[in-house]
Amino acid sequence: MIPFVVAPSVRARPIVPSVLLVVAGGFLGYLTVQLWPLVFLVVWAGTALGVGLRLVPEPRAQEVAAVPVLVALATGAVASPLGIVPELVAGGAALAFLLWLADDPARPAGGSVRGRVTVLIPAFALGIAWASALLLPSSSASLGVAAGLLVFVIAALAYLVGRPGLFDREPAATS
Amino acid sequence: VSAAASSGTALHWRPLAFLLFATGVLLLAAAVAERSPIPLFLALPLLLASPAAALSGPRGPPELLLERHAEGSGMEVRIVGSLASTDRVDARDLEVSFVRPPGLFESSPPRLEWAAKEVHFDFHWEAREPTIVVVPPPAAVWRDAAGLVERAAAFAAPPLVVERYPPELIRVGAVRLRRTMVQPGETPSRRIGAAGEFYGIREAAPTDPPRRINWRASARAGRWLTNEYQVDRTGDVLLLIDARRSSLGASVDERLLSISRAAAAGIAASFLHEKARVGVGVFGEFLDIVPLSTGRAQGIRVRSLLLSARLGPSNIPSERGAVSVSRYFPPGVTTILFSSLADESAVELVPHLRRRGYPVVVLSPSPLPITSEHPSLSEEEEALVVRIGRLARREQVAHVWRDAPTVDWEDYWSLGRFVEYLRRPGTRRVG
Repeated sequence: MIPFVVAPSVRARPIVPSVLLVVAGGFLGYLTVQLWPLVFLVVWAGTALGVGLRLVPEPRAQEVAAVPVLVALATGAVASPLGIVPELVAGGAALAFLLWLADDPARPAGGSVRGRVTVLIPAFALGIAWASALLLPSSSASLGVAAGLLVFVIAALAYLVGRPGLFDREPAATS
Repeated sequence: VSAAASSGTALHWRPLAFLLFATGVLLLAAAVAERSPIPLFLALPLLLASPAAALSGPRGPPELLLERHAEGSGMEVRIVGSLASTDRVDARDLEVSFVRPPGLFESSPPRLEWAAKEVHFDFHWEAREPTIVVVPPPAAVWRDAAGLVERAAAFAAPPLVVERYPPELIRVGAVRLRRTMVQPGETPSRRIGAAGEFYGIREAAPTDPPRRINWRASARAGRWLTNEYQVDRTGDVLLLIDARRSSLGASVDERLLSISRAAAAGIAASFLHEKARVGVGVFGEFLDIVPLSTGRAQGIRVRSLLLSARLGPSNIPSERGAVSVSRYFPPGVTTILFSSLADESAVELVPHLRRRGYPVVVLSPSPLPITSEHPSLSEEEEALVVRIGRLARREQVAHVWRDAPTVDWEDYWSLGRFVEYLRRPGTRRVG
């Protein structure tokens, strides 16, 4: 038996999500210049490498394309100075990354529309978080509370990741 | 729903989801260590993306409907069908993997078209040799657009069998068999018509031609009487496949068995169409049989046995096969033996069958076209090897001819000489 998967026919390259990601990554890299003069190179190179790998018609390259982008964005977020704008740019870069993931050139077109739930729910949560950061006064005590809450969120997420069956529909009693 | 089935269709996180989760956790740790909220803003969407993707998909295995059929004739095999989503799953989020059975080769690139509710597929394959194979159903997996989670779909699909055999076999069932019966099986097989042996006299109809009028009987009776004839084509035929391994090697044996199975399927279908009783035996380690019978159900039984036929060990004595045949099939049944005749034990099966009263016709698929497929020598040397192989083969066939008429089947897409021999058994040498 010879198993095979048929790839969708060649379609237009996902330019818009790629441009959004490059712009967000580029801006994040630009922000790092104030604290770390050379880190922006890592951010830009990682983002460009990921976008480039995704556009190469090679399945293995497309599979690993997300790794350099994640490394670049994480580096940029850690090296950015404190401020409302860097917070917004970091969150926007994460959303641009998700949108870019959804528009996979190896799959049928329209992925960014079909994957809207995957982007919109984090976007909603990000909006709440950013509004809270903007409007509420910050202090060391609130950072400790936030850290505690984050540990709780990580534990909850770890529980969800470990039990994917929780997302299953309950079978009918009569089946 | 069994536990195994439900675990197979449960939601699975893909490696990318774990990567996002790990990156998110590291960013959170960095945020706390650095006392900076910026990594936290990057981490939040990454952590929430995977559960959001899981929520966007089906809450159980996607319900899909598979429709497919095989088209084409001769060597051409075209599989056309569609996989339709019956619930809210978008078909463009389905990753469908297909399986091409051995013996079928791709003649042009496969085509898949995704629509919102259906995936259409169209495969052009080629059967380079006669074959009978089951095309397994495709495996479908729902995967969210970002590639974070996936869930296998479960659906039932009837088996799709592709049969390709030489076209001459379609009319092989019309030959007269040695052992005949009046009404075999469940279906009355006697055919009354305008040709064949004399059957009786009946009142003439205005449509009867003058040559069918029985003039003497009409003169005696004083009214028009006409002759009726009985077409007695029914009979018993046994298709016996020698599935023991030979010195040719596993791959050649496998292909020869596949060719034999296809030919047996074609012959069985043709005889069953003519309402003859057909029995099948596959002699590997033991004799697997389908007893003599007729009808559509018999066709399904024969096909099932042929599809499940596998090679047996090589050291099984031929006499065991002949004795087993005599246990299940009455003597006198026209027996078509499929054997490569590669080894002495294969040759010995013929006289053993003859001694037990089975009139045998040997249809021997020649290994020469397969063994000369990948020449490793120079052109001249290869021609010499083929010539020697052909001479050796001719001698083998001549040796078997002492016990039974033997058809050397070298051109796998033509069985005209075999059909011709069955029609006119007096022909001395075939092949």
